[in-house]
Amino acid sequence: MVPPVAVSPVIKTARWSFLLIGMFYGKQRYDYLKPRAEKERLVEEAEKKIREEQEKIAKALAEGNIFFNSSEC
Amino acid sequence: CGYFVQQLMDKPHRQPVEYFSAATYSKPRLATFWHYAKVELVPPSPAEIPQAIIGIKNIVTGVNSGRLGQTTVKDAFRNGLVCTEVMMWFYIGECIGKGGIVGYAV
Repeated sequence: MVPPVAVSPVIKTARWSFLLIGMFYGKQRYDYLKPRAEKERLVEEAEKKIREEQEKIAKALAEGNIFFNSSEC
Repeated sequence: CGYFVQQLMDKPHRQPVEYFSAATYSKPRLATFWHYAKVELVPPSPAEIPQAIIGIKNIVTGVNSGRLGQTTVKDAFRNGLVCTEVMMWFYIGECIGKGGIVGYAV
């Protein structure tokens, strides 16, 4: 087996410091994005409700039209 | 019938067969991985950090003096690969920090 290579200290420190920096960056970004995503979810919920109401009204109108046009009532 | 039973009992014992399982497959490979990782992937000891700072200073002086402009394409390619690998550790750290591999689970 090839003997293991002695890695230069520059590369070793660079690797592990990047690992730690990456962990901090990931945690920070997650904490930054989480409340924004919550707010956006609430906004999306409200808009969805309004949209569904409108769709219901449109559907009722469409079905009602069938009766409005007939000469039965 | 007794003759056949006798034959079965007299059959020489072979070594028990090691059946193919995840443990038997991975153990020697884990051993080789550990053999290399113990030397190559360990974090820098406190004695090596000043050496690393000196090394970075050397690189900076090399850039300023123009010595790094003289690197061969082969060396530059090799150094580029090493830098790419070091950058990947950053993204692995980011995956650990955000708690997931693809995307942020917000």
